[in-house]
This record gives sequence, structure tokens and C-alpha cells, in this order.
Amino acid sequence: MATETAAEAEQESPVNRVRSLVVRRSDNRAALGLAGGIADRLGISDAYVRAAFVSLTLAGGVGIAVYIVGTAIAKAGDDITPADPPDGRQVVGLAIMFFGVMAFMRGLNLWFGDTVVWAGTLLAFGGAAMWDKTSIFDPASGGFAPSRTRIVVGALLLLAGIASLSSTISSIESLGPAISAAALTGAGFMVIFGPWVSSLVRDLGEERRNRILADERTEVAAHLHDSVLQTLALIQRTDDPKRMVTLARGQERDLRNWLYGPKSDGAGLKLRAALESAVSEIEARHDVPVELVVVGDMPITEGATSLVAAAREAITNAAKHSGATKVSVFAEVRDETAEVFVTDQGKGFDPDNIPAGRHGIEHSLRGRMKRQGGEAEIISEVGEGTEVRLKLPRGNHE
Amino acid sequence: MNDTTNDPARDKGQDKANDTSLFLVDDHKLFLSGVQSELSEHFPIVGTAGDVDEAIAGIRKTRPDVVLVDVHMPGGGGVTVISNVLQSHPETRFLALSVSDSPEDVIAMIRAGARGYVTKSIAPDDLAGAVRKVADGDAVFSPRLAGFVLDAFGGAISPAADPELDQLTPREQEVMRLIARGLAYKQVARKLSISIKTVETHVSSVLRKLQLSSRHELARWASDHRII
Repeated sequence: MATETAAEAEQESPVNRVRSLVVRRSDNRAALGLAGGIADRLGISDAYVRAAFVSLTLAGGVGIAVYIVGTAIAKAGDDITPADPPDGRQVVGLAIMFFGVMAFMRGLNLWFGDTVVWAGTLLAFGGAAMWDKTSIFDPASGGFAPSRTRIVVGALLLLAGIASLSSTISSIESLGPAISAAALTGAGFMVIFGPWVSSLVRDLGEERRNRILADERTEVAAHLHDSVLQTLALIQRTDDPKRMVTLARGQERDLRNWLYGPKSDGAGLKLRAALESAVSEIEARHDVPVELVVVGDMPITEGATSLVAAAREAITNAAKHSGATKVSVFAEVRDETAEVFVTDQGKGFDPDNIPAGRHGIEHSLRGRMKRQGGEAEIISEVGEGTEVRLKLPRGNHE
Repeated sequence: MNDTTNDPARDKGQDKANDTSLFLVDDHKLFLSGVQSELSEHFPIVGTAGDVDEAIAGIRKTRPDVVLVDVHMPGGGGVTVISNVLQSHPETRFLALSVSDSPEDVIAMIRAGARGYVTKSIAPDDLAGAVRKVADGDAVFSPRLAGFVLDAFGGAISPAADPELDQLTPREQEVMRLIARGLAYKQVARKLSISIKTVETHVSSVLRKLQLSSRHELARWASDHRII
């Protein structure tokens, strides 16, 4: 067993070792994070690795092929802590390796021509020297600003690249010397000042984010002050426990609505919101908790207005007369109908012997709903509570 | 109030049918002590915990019948407690108790394995009744939860859906509507002329669908909370 696993490990290890050599960054990446991963592994700035890829791409597209193969074998998102920066000897070694590969490609004739490749290489590495992030955020030199030697070296490389390009490529010359000079100068400026501009843009973005956060905090504070703190102050000044519960419930509903409720999107009042406000008003006035459950929603049409008015009447009635400790309201909006049920577990009444004040209510509920083509029904039994069912047809009253 | 469901034959010859042991998990100390004093008249409370790790360790040690668990807590919330404990002790029953009743929270708790969901504004007697129901293996649907269920299962289902799990039967819908209207199981049974046991069967089957259905509304809520 032991020898077998050892053999297995030995068989697997070279592949795994190669695979683990190549990693891909999950953030701070330009394309797939491969250049960044290689840079982290070597301990150099990703700008140089990207420049090397650009140069290799000019060498017959080898850079792209290497990138694709590297991405395929790399372990994605396995970020590693960047290795220590290489010392002078290692840098020279890496440079020799790079030029060795380039010369090899030239020998294989994978080459877009001396001028293009070498000028491109000069430009790529000149740019990389400017963009080198390790120098931009160097705390020793006080924030950003690349070190002076690097700027000089980068600028010289860029100039050499621009010069060799502009002196040979006829298409640029045919554009006229003035235009090509302007274009090249602009490109040079972009490369030189790019890092500074990009860090400026980043700072601005951060500032904007901070300002939005601060605004949000102010808004939350204002809302809590107007609602929760006011209610808490009221509760402290109240002796009546029932009143305290009502205040707390009203505040709870309000806060919950603010936290989880549908955002008011300017689409006008909806049935759910109208019922919610009716319920909290009745709760506050009669000190009876009302539990509201709404399924679906609809815009406030003429019919919906009558439905809410009738529901309000039925809930008020239950809160006032039923003697129940709680009133339940269930509203369901479907394609064809909208229904509201108002249920209490209170004392109820005998439908054949309706108490004096109740006649009017039944009348008024029926009348309201009938005018909208709907119906109202009251079911009650002594000792078994009361249930009011309101039904509104939809479609012809939209 | 729920004495009818509390019959001694419930648990294969165990002699403590009336002694449902209870464990409370809530990070609000004030609320925790309030619930503890309310419920200690009805049940032996074997432990309490104020955060996720404490809760998981405590529940594994004390093996309560029912755990009353808050939704929002530091360290992962009630969903983490439920899924962790159910892995090692699948017989533990959970009742979610929270001030929050956003649909996402409700659905996430149920899909993690809670047998019911009540809000903290519930009356003490109703809470005790809900604990008993959960201990008996029934599901506890508050009117609000029934409303969410109707919302989530309403509308058309995609053709690829599993009608067994992704749709409520007409009878289950009726039961949910009556619960949403505020009726107790007993009243639902009377209204539909069926037995309480049948109502409980319907409710349990809705709970199962809520936990297993792939309806996109439920799936979306669940994936927001990374429980699938």
C-alpha cells in the first residue's frame, strides 16, 4: 500500500508541480489573471510580464499561444502572496531568458519583422517601466511617483521605440509628418502620465462611494429619528399598557415596511400599501392588533378603492364590537378577482337577530361592493366570531 | 389549547410525553430571558445559547426535542445552526422565531429544515402551542407564512417543473388560504369538514414542498441565502 501511494505521488508530482507553478490572479487582473499570477510567482511587477507577452505576441503570435496554454494549465483564482523581488542577478537571468526566447522565435522565423518586433518590445517595456505599480504606490517615495531612474529609463525606451517605428513605417509617414508626430507624442504622454491619471480616477471613484455611503447614513439617521426615536419617547410617557403595545406595533410595522417593504417606485399606490395604512390607522385608534396578510397586488382602481373602504369598515367594526383580542385580515389578488377576508374570534352574533347597530354596516358593505359589481358576505355565529368576505371582480373595472 | 394533539402515544413508549425538552437560541439576552420565563411553565428548558457556535455545541450536548431558534445571529444565523445540527442529529426539531419576516428569511429557515416559523409578536400561549405542535412532528404555519406560500406557489409553473413538488393541490391551497385568514387548525378542519389530523397532513405536505420544490421563486430566495 505504502509503496503504491508513493509511486502514485511520484507519478503525479511533476504534473502537479508544473501546474502549481502557474497560478492566475482572481483580482487586479487585465485579462484572465495569468500575467499577474506569473508576476506574483516571480516577484516582479505585472507590468513587465504583460510587456513580455506583448513582445512575444509580435513574435508570430507566440505570446497569445503561450497565454492560452498557460491559462489552461493554471490553477484559477489560487492567489499566492507575491514572491520577494528578485535581486540583480535574477533580473539579468530573466532578461537573458526573454531575449533567448525572442532570438529562438526569430530563428524559427516566427517573426513579424525586426523593426516591428524590436520597436514593439522597446515600447512595451518602456511603458511597463512607467506603469510599474510597485513604484506608483511606493510608500518610501511618498505615495505614487515612480522613481526618477525608472522614468528616465522608461522614457528613453519609449523614445527609442517611437523613433525606430516612425523612421521606417511608411504608412505613418504618408499621414504627414505633423500628424504622425502629434499622434506619437500623444501616445507618449498617455503612457507617461497614464499611471497618474488612473490613480486619480480611482481616488475620485472612492470619494464618490464614500459620499454615497455618508448620504445613506444621514438618511437612515433621519428616518430613525422621525420614527423610532419619536415612538420610544411616546412610549416612555404612556402609562396605559394597551397603548404601549399599539405604539410598539405601529412602529414595528412601519420599520418593517421601510426595511423589507416594496420600494415606492413612483408607480402609484397599490392595494397592499392602501390596506397596510388602513390597518395601522385602525390599530392605533382602537388599540386592537390587526394581522394583515396580502397575497398578490393590484393598482388602485375605482373598484380597489371601494374594496379598501369596505375592508376598513369591516376591520373597524371587528375592532370596536367583537371584543376579540386580534383581528385577522387576508387579502388575495388573483387574475379574475380580488378578495378580502376580515376574521375575528370575538363574540359573534346571530344572523337572524342582528343587533341594532349592525344593520347599517351590512347594508353599507353590500352597497359599496355591489356598485363595483362585487359582493359582500357576513358570516357569524354567537360565540364563534365573525367573518366578512368581500369580493371584487377584476378586468371590466380596470 | 392544543391538548388534543398532545397524546401520550406520540413517541414510541417514551414516558415523558408531556415533557418536551426545549433549547432556546437568541442573541438578544432580554428577549431570551423573557421567552425563557414564559415557556418554563410549560416545558423543561435544557439550555440556551446566544450565538451560532454556542448553540450547535449546546444542542449536541443536551439533545433537546425542540429548538427555538432566532433567524439573525452573529456567526451565520439560524440557518447555519439548523443545517449543522440536522447533519449530526436529524431527529432534532426546529421552530424559527424572529422579528424579521421578510420572505427571504422565512423561506431560508424552512428550506434549511425548520418545521415552522413564528414571529416574536406571537402571544405566549400560542408560542407554547406551536412548540407542542413541532414536538409532535407537525408543521407550524402562521398566517403570514401561509401568505408567503400562496405567493410563492401562485402563478404559472415552468413546463420543466415537477408538478408533484412545484404545485399545491387545490385542497392544500384551501388549507393555506384558511390559515392565512387567521383560522386555527381546528377551525380549518371544521370549515372543510375534515379531521384535524387531515389538516395536519396537508400542512406537512406543504412544508415538504416548500423544502424540496424547485419553483424558481423558492430557488431564488434560497440561492440568495446560499442554502442550495
